[in-house]
This record gives sequence, structure tokens and C-alpha cells, in this order.
Amino acid sequence: MKILLILALGILLSSPAQADPRDDIIAGFKAQGAGDANLANGQKMYSTTYGSGKPDTPKCTTCHGATPQQGGQTRTGKAIDPMAVSRTENRFTDKKMVDKWFRRNCKGVIGRECTAQEKVDFLTFLASQ
Amino acid sequence: MADDENTAQTSPTATTTTHVITVWDLPIRLFHLALVAVVLVAYLSAYVLPENALGLHLWSGYVTVALLVFRLTWGWLGSHYSRLQSFAYSPAHILKHLQELATLRPVTHYIGHNPSGALMVFALLMVLSIITVSGLMVLGGEENQGPLAGIISYAVAEHAATVHNVIVLLLLAMVVLHIAGVLLETKLTGQRLVRAMFNGRKTVPLSTPSLPLRPARPVTAAAVLTVFITIAGSVLWALSTMPASGLITLPANTAYEGECGDCHSAFHPSLMPIASWAKVMGGLDDHFGEDASLDAETVTDITSYLTQYGGEKWDTEASNRFAILNPAKPLRITATPYWLRKHSAIAPAQFKLKSVGGKTNCGGCHRDQQSGRFDDQNIQIPKE
Repeated sequence: MKILLILALGILLSSPAQADPRDDIIAGFKAQGAGDANLANGQKMYSTTYGSGKPDTPKCTTCHGATPQQGGQTRTGKAIDPMAVSRTENRFTDKKMVDKWFRRNCKGVIGRECTAQEKVDFLTFLASQ
Repeated sequence: MADDENTAQTSPTATTTTHVITVWDLPIRLFHLALVAVVLVAYLSAYVLPENALGLHLWSGYVTVALLVFRLTWGWLGSHYSRLQSFAYSPAHILKHLQELATLRPVTHYIGHNPSGALMVFALLMVLSIITVSGLMVLGGEENQGPLAGIISYAVAEHAATVHNVIVLLLLAMVVLHIAGVLLETKLTGQRLVRAMFNGRKTVPLSTPSLPLRPARPVTAAAVLTVFITIAGSVLWALSTMPASGLITLPANTAYEGECGDCHSAFHPSLMPIASWAKVMGGLDDHFGEDASLDAETVTDITSYLTQYGGEKWDTEASNRFAILNPAKPLRITATPYWLRKHSAIAPAQFKLKSVGGKTNCGGCHRDQQSGRFDDQNIQIPKE
């Protein structure tokens, strides 16, 4: 049993092209009608002050770092890891988490759900950082 | 009953007719000094030192109990003037002595405790007993600690706390009265009572024997104390193995700790009434100004966890105190009257420290918050 497990693990680790879970998530948004990513729009979203959502959270950087490379802080004082994938490796790898936070934070900051295109732009921009 | 052998009209000038004897034996003098020290530590640890000095306060209580037990044993088996019997005066006798004192004219000197001093001794023994027993009850019911934790409920402990807090003020008044009484007697009898407190010696008429009238029985006293300590210690130890009443074991809940812990440390469920938790969980799309919505399945999971372990399921100091809400902000734990009162002395900058992690991170200072007990001794405010 143990040997089988080690064998399986070995095969898993040695398999050459590990699929990036982010690709699956982006593919999911594309299936909802999104086109190719617009990095400039993703960057703009990160730094725009919307003010159309909840009054306490007018922009992403209310809680997240001023740049994607910087860490942020929740309004209660808890540290938030940087959004840039280069700084926080496991960002955007859990679909459930990605969906939860897009739902919450788009409503909280912009005042509406984000479109599939916006999600692709935003996520791809931060993955490139 | 105390009698005439205790009284002696002495005149310090008549040296030929007097001699010096040991009135207060060494154990009774050490007892007195130790009691003074331990009561001082008790007051300092309660009123002056920070809240996490509770451990020191408890030790002062336990030592007081030991001293009381010793005093009662020595009051039976000590040397003559230490024995309770030698200064058990009748109320009429005490009254007569007090009336004499009130005239502020020279009074009869008693070799041992005089009647008003004796009254003070008995009163102190009684008051100290009440203080230590009520303190132990508070410890058990409010702090869920100590030998009575399994027996005393929070409601009972609250009454005990009232008694404890009032009687310690009475003790303070008695200490003042005691010192005033000693100074007055010193003046009116011409005896150096304070010096006698340290060296035990007094100048008395030649007719008073230099040997104690009744010698101490230290071996018997040691045996009695050993038996008592063994029995009382066993009982207390057995009691302290009982699980604390009202303190349940909180199982971990990944959804609660994970989801709520995303933005703030997951509060201990005992810190809010169940109905409040239900309201919080029903309004996650506007959670203190933020959208904290969750999928229905997770909401159900967390709600049932909080319902199962919310405030009413506990009988701790925290669960009882936090049950009183702030009407203006009923769902905010850090706005409850108790939270505000207990944290009023803490500078806002303290909460901003990275090591503290904000007002919602109880564990930043309360190192045992996971247990729901929030021990005073476990408060550690980081310096940086």
C-alpha cells in the first residue's frame, strides 16, 4: 500500500506539464463569454476608486496593498498577503475562493457583480505581476 | 476564660519590682509578620498590579489560609499568650475596657492581648476566613479555576464576589483601627507594644512567672497541622480534578475558522448569545459595512456550529458578561459594555501593533482564548 502510494506520488511529481489551476479558472470565465485578457483594464480595476459599492470600501486598495506586490490589511487589522502571484504563489488556484471573493468584493467596491471579462482581466493582470 | 493572670499594673520606673519575659513566642511573631506581608501582597496584586497578577493574588490567598490554620492550631497548642483561651474575654469585660480607653486616661496593661485587641484578633480571623473562602468561590465560578471550579456557578460566584469586595474594604478599615488601637494602648499603658511585636518581650511585675504559664506543644501542633494539611489537601485536590462547571470543550470547525478567519480571528462562540450569532449569520451581505456573503451550505454549517456553542451553552465569566449587549451596536462584540470597560486602559496604538492584530484578535493578548476561559493570568500584552 505504502509502496503504491510512493509510486503514485512519484509519477505525479514527475509528470512534465503540470496544469496551472489558474488556467482552468480562466477557462471557466471564458466559457461564460469572456474573451482574451486585457491587462491594462485589469491594472485599471485594481487602482480605480469606484465609490459605487459600500461606503467603507470604495476601492480595492482600501484593504489590499497600494501595489499588487504589497501586502494589505483588512479593516479589522488582519494582514492580507500581496495579490501579485509572484509574491503569493497560491493566489487564484482555488475556484471556490476566487468565486467567493469576486462576488463579495465586486459588490462591495463596485456595487455590482463583475462580468466574466472583468474577472479574466483582473486575474490575468495579477498573475502577470 | 481569660482571667486575672493576664492583667498587671506596671510602672516602668519601678525597675526593682519588674522583670522582662517573653510574651509572644517566635512562631506567633513570625505568623504576624507573615500575615502582614501576605495581606499587603493581596491588596497590591488586586488593586495596583495589572490584571494578569491574579496568580500572585491567588498565592497570597492560599498562604493566608495556611496562616489561619496555623493560627487556630497555635491558638490551641501554642504557648500561654498565644492560646485563644487566654484572651477570650466576656463581652462585658471588652466593653469595660473600651470605656476605659475612651476616657483617654492610663489603663490597665494586659500582658497578653488586651480585651479590645482580643476582639480584633477574633474579628480578623473571621474576616480573613470569609475573604479566603469567598475568594475561592469567585475563582471557581468566575474564572473556572481552582478547587471549586466544578461546583460553583457564575451566579453564585457573583454573590461571593460582592462579599469578597466588601469584606476586603472592611479588613482595610480594621487594619487602620488595629494600628490606631495599638498606638493608643501604647500611650495609655506606657508599654512598648510595637517593640514587643518584634522581639516578643515585655516588662512585667516580678510576680509574673518568666516561664510561659502553659508551654507550647510544638510537636503536637506539627502533628495536628500535618493531619489537617493532608486531609484538606486531599479534599481540595480531589475537588480540583472535577471538570469546571460551565466550561465545555469546543471542537474545531474548519468552516467557521476558515471563512470568518479570512478577515478577523474567529471569535470564541461563547462571546455572543445564540440569537445574536443567528442575526450575524443572516446578514452576511452587509457585515459591518462589508459584503461577507457565503454560499448557503457554508452559512448553514457555521450557523449550526454557533448555535450549538453560543453564549448560552457556557457558564463562564466571558459568556455571562458578553451576554449584556450594547443596544446601539448589539452585534459588535467589541462594543459590549464589558469589553469597553475591560479595555478602556489600553491605548489605541496597542491594538494597532502587528503582534496584536487589532481589536478583533482576542488571541493577540488572551493567550488561552481558545478555551473560552480567558484567564487573567493568561493576558499578555505584547510590547512591540
